[in-house]
Amino acid sequence: MKKILSILRLTLAIGCIGLLVWGFGVLRCCIRKSGNLARPLLSGNITTKNIHGPSPTQIRSIERIGEWEFLSIEDEEMVDTVRQRLMLPDQYLVRIYKGTLRLGIDLSRATPDWVQMRGDTVCVTLPPIKLLNKEFIDEARTETFHETGSWDAGAREAMYRKAHRMMMLRGLSESNLKQAREVGRQRMSDVFRALGFPHVKVE
Amino acid sequence: MKAYIFLLATCMVAGSCQKHRAEPQTVDRERMADSTELVLHISRQHRLYTAECMVHKVVTHRDIIRWEGEIMGYKFGHDVPMGSRKIAIPIDVTLKVYIDFRDFGPERVKRQGEQLFIVLPEPRFVVTASRVDHKGMRRYTDPIRKEYTDEEMTRLTQKGVQDILRQAPQTGILETARSGAEAVLQPMLTQLGYDKEKIHIAFDNRVLRMPVEQFYDNEGSVVQLKP
Repeated sequence: MKKILSILRLTLAIGCIGLLVWGFGVLRCCIRKSGNLARPLLSGNITTKNIHGPSPTQIRSIERIGEWEFLSIEDEEMVDTVRQRLMLPDQYLVRIYKGTLRLGIDLSRATPDWVQMRGDTVCVTLPPIKLLNKEFIDEARTETFHETGSWDAGAREAMYRKAHRMMMLRGLSESNLKQAREVGRQRMSDVFRALGFPHVKVE
Repeated sequence: MKAYIFLLATCMVAGSCQKHRAEPQTVDRERMADSTELVLHISRQHRLYTAECMVHKVVTHRDIIRWEGEIMGYKFGHDVPMGSRKIAIPIDVTLKVYIDFRDFGPERVKRQGEQLFIVLPEPRFVVTASRVDHKGMRRYTDPIRKEYTDEEMTRLTQKGVQDILRQAPQTGILETARSGAEAVLQPMLTQLGYDKEKIHIAFDNRVLRMPVEQFYDNEGSVVQLKP
């Protein structure tokens, strides 16, 4: 008798668990598919309520700078990562990163006499051309091209660093730096001519 | 037998024709893959950046599954248990203000005796970078919900950046940019023989009264400001 009772209890327990799992599955399926539950049964629907929390904007720093930009390089890089799983399909994350590298001069690195008057000629000694923004990727505009599975912070950080490296390699080429210097010479001459100095020499 | 040979030959010819037709399609796909890998656009600029602002924000979002309906004329609405999910995304945004010297010409410079008057073009601001602190991000998802996708997180980040942009004029960055421009130009003109007291640098003050969309550089910025 005891044996029969225990078998019955076990069957009941398994049945309950099965019912719960089934109910859970149905609810999840309903939410995923259309957000609607079976109308004739419950005459109701499932909706999603979005709440955007008011979050404060914190200003970390505001500072005066003196940077002259001569060349900007807009770049897009596609970076992907794959997670291989035993007996299961592989998972992918493919993102397209966007960024703008700005080349120019930082006047804080210029010598005190970088602009000098020699006779009737203005002599300008430009500081070296450099990348003005070390952080140039805009993650807010990143496009998710393909995504399967869930990805942790480490994977996204690694992808960001890879995109950063790729953009640096493409953008900071010798020809771009040379072009920025040429543009800089021409632009600085224009500024001093506009200020009323017809003879300008930019080095 | 002849019929079989004829059929075989026809199949072979058809197969070879199909192969020839398939080739250009493969090449097209390869070309498309190349173009998505790299898009590089180089443009000549002439901008003097005079202020930089680093902003931090935690974008939060929560959504709840609600069960709403009607039973025998009685309306009901309940939050589904274990049906919510939350996310907090910390973001860091770098804003810079610049004066575009492409619009700067002799008409903006006036001399009256020893006095020098310069009217600079109106400053504009751009977002030069935005970064998500992935390690600092927190997500809580109930069992019946699907985790936030990468696309959803990007959308929320964009919203956060747009909020920062709309609040940017209140940060005082434009005032800092004005004093920054004076700090760059005055020593330069002093070196050229002008007296510091006789250099007057002015800006177009209209910019402070304009809506943010008008002096935000949507083209030069890496982040777009959507209305």
